[in-house]
Amino acid sequence: MRRLVGMIVFLVVFPLVLVGFGYAAYAVAGLAASAFLSWGLQPAYGTALANVVFLMLVFVMLTATGLTIGERKWSALMQNRIGPNRIRPFGNPLAGLPYILADGLKTLTKENIQPSARSKFLYEMAPVISLAPAFALFAVIPVGPRVAVSGQQVALQVASPDAGLLYLFAIASLAVYGTSIAGWASNNKLAILGGVRASSQMISYEVSLGLSLVGAMMAYGTLRLEEMSVAQGKLLWGVLPQLGFILQPVGLVLFFASAFAETKRAPFDLPEGESEIVGYFVEYPGMKFAMMMLAEFIEVVVLAGVTVAVFLGGWHPIVFEGWLKANLSPLAFAAVCAGAFMLKTIALAWLQLVIRWTLPRFRFDQIQKLCWKMMLPFALANVFLTGALVLADPTLEWLAIVGIVEIVALVALTAAATKAPEPAHGEHGHGGAHAAPAHGH
Amino acid sequence: MPYKVIEDSPADFRERLFLPEVIRGVGIIAKQFWRNFFLQRDPNPDILLRKTPTVTIQYPEEKQPYPPGYRGLHRLVPREDGKPRCVACYMCATVCPAQCIYIEADEVEGDPIEKYPKRFVIDELRCVVCGFCVEACPKDAIRMDTGEHAPPTYTREGQLLDEKALLRGAPVSYQYDPWLRRGATAVDPKKLEEMRQRAKPFPAGATDELSQTPGFSVRQLAAEAKGRGA
Repeated sequence: MRRLVGMIVFLVVFPLVLVGFGYAAYAVAGLAASAFLSWGLQPAYGTALANVVFLMLVFVMLTATGLTIGERKWSALMQNRIGPNRIRPFGNPLAGLPYILADGLKTLTKENIQPSARSKFLYEMAPVISLAPAFALFAVIPVGPRVAVSGQQVALQVASPDAGLLYLFAIASLAVYGTSIAGWASNNKLAILGGVRASSQMISYEVSLGLSLVGAMMAYGTLRLEEMSVAQGKLLWGVLPQLGFILQPVGLVLFFASAFAETKRAPFDLPEGESEIVGYFVEYPGMKFAMMMLAEFIEVVVLAGVTVAVFLGGWHPIVFEGWLKANLSPLAFAAVCAGAFMLKTIALAWLQLVIRWTLPRFRFDQIQKLCWKMMLPFALANVFLTGALVLADPTLEWLAIVGIVEIVALVALTAAATKAPEPAHGEHGHGGAHAAPAHGH
Repeated sequence: MPYKVIEDSPADFRERLFLPEVIRGVGIIAKQFWRNFFLQRDPNPDILLRKTPTVTIQYPEEKQPYPPGYRGLHRLVPREDGKPRCVACYMCATVCPAQCIYIEADEVEGDPIEKYPKRFVIDELRCVVCGFCVEACPKDAIRMDTGEHAPPTYTREGQLLDEKALLRGAPVSYQYDPWLRRGATAVDPKKLEEMRQRAKPFPAGATDELSQTPGFSVRQLAAEAKGRGA
C-alpha cells in the first residue's frame, strides 16, 4: 500500500519536476540571450549555448544515465525480479539510483587494457565518434515552443537549420562510423564481425528510416522539426489535432522500428550479439566501453525525441491544451509544453525498453528480410499514398481519415487474437488497450 | 549456403503481419511492469503463498524457513539452572562417524556420582550432519533443532564450537532426570525444588518426541506390530 501511494505520488510529481526543469531551461536561456545582447553578441548564440548545456548535457545526459539503471531496474520489474538494490546509502536502495555513481566509479578506475596490435589513433577515436553524433542529433529537436523571456525570443532548441530532418539523417548515419571503426581498430575478429554487422544493418535501415519520414515531410510541407511541432497543434474539423500518428500511423511504426535498428539495441542488437560475438566493443575497457554504451542510450533518448517531435505532437501537451493556454502566462505554458515533451520522450524510451524485453534477437537474414522485404515496400507505399492524399486534399482531412482507418485496422488485428480460443496464449483481453502505437504511459 | 534457413513462418495471416503480435507482446510485458511497479513486493518467505509474482528471496535479510526435521547446528540443551543437561557419557562421541565430538568429563564438585563435560567441542568442519549424536544421547542433552547452519568464519578454528558456544536455547527438564529424582547436592535446594515443579512429566513417547520426523512414532509402530501378532 505504501508503495502504491508512493508510486502514484511519483507519477504526479515527476511531470511537475519536468515542467520545473523546462521553466529553469527557459529562464537560463533568456538570461543567456540578454547577457549576450549586453556583450554585443548575437542573443541567439546565448540561447543556443544555454540550450546545449541544459538540453544536451543535462536532460539528454541525465535521461541516458538514468536509462542505464532503468535498463536493469525496469527489466527486473518486467521479469518479476527485484533488480539492483544492494547499495543502500540510507538503508534504502533508492530505486537503484546509487548504482549510477558506483558504475561511474567502476568504469573510471578500471585497468586500461589495450590490444597491442590496435590501430592506435582510431582505437582512441572510436568511442568519441560513437558518442558525438548521438549528442549532435539532439540539436535540431524542439523541446519547447518559442516564447518571450525577459524581452528575448527564446526557444528550447539548439539550432533550427532549414535542412532540419536532413541534418538528422546525415548525423544519424555518422554514428555507425564509431561502431565500424571500433570494430576495425581493435584488430579482433569478433569485433570486426560486430562492426561489419553494424554497418550492413545501418545501411539497410537508413533507407526505411528516411522513407518513413518522407510522408510526414509531405503532410506538414516542411523539413524543420519545430514547424512540424507547431503544425501538429492545428485542429482537423475543429476538434482533432493533426498529430503525426493520426496522419502517418504507418510512418510511425516504420520509423520507430528503424530507429530501433539505429540504436543497435535488442531485438536489433546483432552488432553486439553478446551470445555469439561479444560485440564491436570487445576490446574496450572501462570508460571507453561505457562511452559506447552511453552512446546507445543517448541514441535511445534522441530517437525517442525525434519520434515525439514528428509523430506524437511534439511539445503539445494535447490534453487540456486550450485550457492551459488560456489560463497560464505564455512562459508558464511554454514550460508545461517543454515538460510534456520530456515526459513523452521518457515514456517512449520506456517503451523501447519494453520492446527490448519483449522480442528476442533477430537472426541476420531475418533482419535484412524485415528491412528490404517488409519495411521498405511499406514505406514506399506509404510515401505514394501520402503524396496522393496530400495532393488531393491539402487540408489533410483525407490523410487523417486514411490514418484513422489504418489505426482501427491495427487495433482490430491486435484485438483479434484475444477472441481466438487458444488456451496456449494467456493474458486474454488485453491487446486492445495497447494497440495504438502512440499510446504512451 | 553456410547455414540452413528454417522456414517457420506462421500460417495465420495476422501472425505473419508480425506487428499485431508484437503489440500484444508489448502489452503483456507492460502489464507485468505496471503490476510490479505499483504493488508492494510480498516478502513472504514461502514463495508459493506470495500474492505478488516476484519469487526472489533477499537472502541475508529474508530467509526461507527450513522444513521441520531439518538437522541444523548442534546445541547443548541447558537445564533450568543454566548448566548443560549433558552428563559426559561419551555416547555421542562414540557413535559419531566423523569423530568430530571431543568430550572431557569432570566430576561435579560435592556430588558423589554426577559428571559434567568440562570440555565439549564439536568440529563443525568435520561434522557430517548425520544426527547420530542426537539419536544416541540418553539425556536429550544434544539437539540439532536450531534451524541454522554453521555460521561462516574466517578461520578454521572458528568452526570449533565449545561448550560455551553450544550451550543455548530453551532449557528442558524432565521428571525422570536423575538430578531431580535423586537430588543434586551441587544445586541449591530451593532452585532444585523449582526445577522439580517445572519439569515436564516423563514423556510417554520419549523417543517419539525427540524424533526428527513429524508423524513418526516408534511406540505406535511397535504397538501395531504387536497387534499383528508378529
